[in-house]
Amino acid sequence: MEKTPTCSPSSSRLWRPAAQRNLRNQWANLSSYKHKWASLSSSARSHATSLVNSSLSLRYMDARDLGVLTDLPGIKNKASLKLFKQQELHRSKLLASYKNMVAIVNQMVSAGASMRCFLKGVDNSSILQYSNSALNSTDVGDGGGIPAFTFRSISSFEELAKELIHMFILELNLKRLLVIEFFSISNEDARKDNELSWQDELYSGEFDDLSKCNLYSTEACAPLLPTIKGRKPGKLKLQAEHQPDEDVLQVYLTTWLADVNIDKCRVDEILTSVAEEMNVTLV
Amino acid sequence: MEAMVKKYQQKFKKVKEYIDKWEELQSLLLSQFRSASAIINRLQLIQNSKKYGALKSVDGIGDAIFTKQMNSLQNILLSMNKTLEEFHAVVISLEKIVRDGRQLVKGGGSIQPKVAQLQQRIGIKPSLADCLEGLVQLHDMHRSEYLLKSSVVSALPTITLEPSESDLEALQQLLVDQPNIPKDEVQFIYDIIYAEDIC
Repeated sequence: MEKTPTCSPSSSRLWRPAAQRNLRNQWANLSSYKHKWASLSSSARSHATSLVNSSLSLRYMDARDLGVLTDLPGIKNKASLKLFKQQELHRSKLLASYKNMVAIVNQMVSAGASMRCFLKGVDNSSILQYSNSALNSTDVGDGGGIPAFTFRSISSFEELAKELIHMFILELNLKRLLVIEFFSISNEDARKDNELSWQDELYSGEFDDLSKCNLYSTEACAPLLPTIKGRKPGKLKLQAEHQPDEDVLQVYLTTWLADVNIDKCRVDEILTSVAEEMNVTLV
Repeated sequence: MEAMVKKYQQKFKKVKEYIDKWEELQSLLLSQFRSASAIINRLQLIQNSKKYGALKSVDGIGDAIFTKQMNSLQNILLSMNKTLEEFHAVVISLEKIVRDGRQLVKGGGSIQPKVAQLQQRIGIKPSLADCLEGLVQLHDMHRSEYLLKSSVVSALPTITLEPSESDLEALQQLLVDQPNIPKDEVQFIYDIIYAEDIC
């Protein structure tokens, strides 16, 4: 990381409070985004579960023995229609949750990119002000690499934020795959050419959002493939499985729940250590 | 005598608080047990790579999920053991109440009260023997139930190695039923102690 070579003791004395305020804010944001993510992820999972359930009911409708109701005219059609409508509802809720999760990860990314504190105004002027965007090309906003509080420099805070955010980015991408899968099971009867694939935008503007968190490859004109932390990226053969059976759906739901890319202990460790350094509580 | 009965009734009030605490722990333990058995029931499935559908293209997904689920299970088992410790604390508190109750009839002195005195009843008020007996019974029930719960929880890791849905269901039912604490008997004890309030 580049450092500002010249940083007079007096200016660092002034830089520090502004930098500290900013760091506290950004980390408080990160911590609250983490909570929002968790609650969005959990409601998305319950939408996905409902979607799976109504899809399975629909799938087995023909084989189902409706007992005394069998003689009611058009009962199966009506039930199917109702389930179909429910499916649509869960589908749109799942999509909405996913969209919000993308938004949250983007907010994390931007919080992670706003850790620096830049000098605003003219050097040596009596009034010094700071902002979180660079106005001066020689100012890299890290106070010359000095500790912002006691030990950690700005770049050390940035490293931790990056590590934290990266977990959520990877997990978002894995969940994207699951969303596509959940969509395709509810879409069995629809025309096959209508089926979603990895290269399709799930909502308009999704690819812009994904590029903000580096999940979109302009080269391949597609989102990066889902990857587990510390493993190779997947192969490009991401076709929706046709008619996944109940077991597969159960594995999908478990995968959603497991948050494999988010190492909870490490997340807590990072937040605790940062909170300690900043002398605040992040919960 | 009447004053003594009052003192015992206060003890039963205290016991009631511990029983309420027990009920809270009971629902906590049940929800922990349900989470644990949900994971245990999924373990075999998530080890079957054929069942990963489109996730097959993600390198290492099976291992990652298995590890994650095992960690979650481990954490749930740890919290279940913590819950058990709290159950144990309740049992110990009940035991202390019984001890204090015994002390009460001795009156702190060395003179043992006569049997007739203990069994003496004034109107519908309980005798001192009723009171003491009630405390002892409530403690016994909860201690036995605590031991049962401990053995159910300690059976979980073994089931994890060879998951069986029916075993898990049976164990869960055992936890729900609390066979050592028959509700009507508990109620019966309280009915005797607080007979005058019921009338």
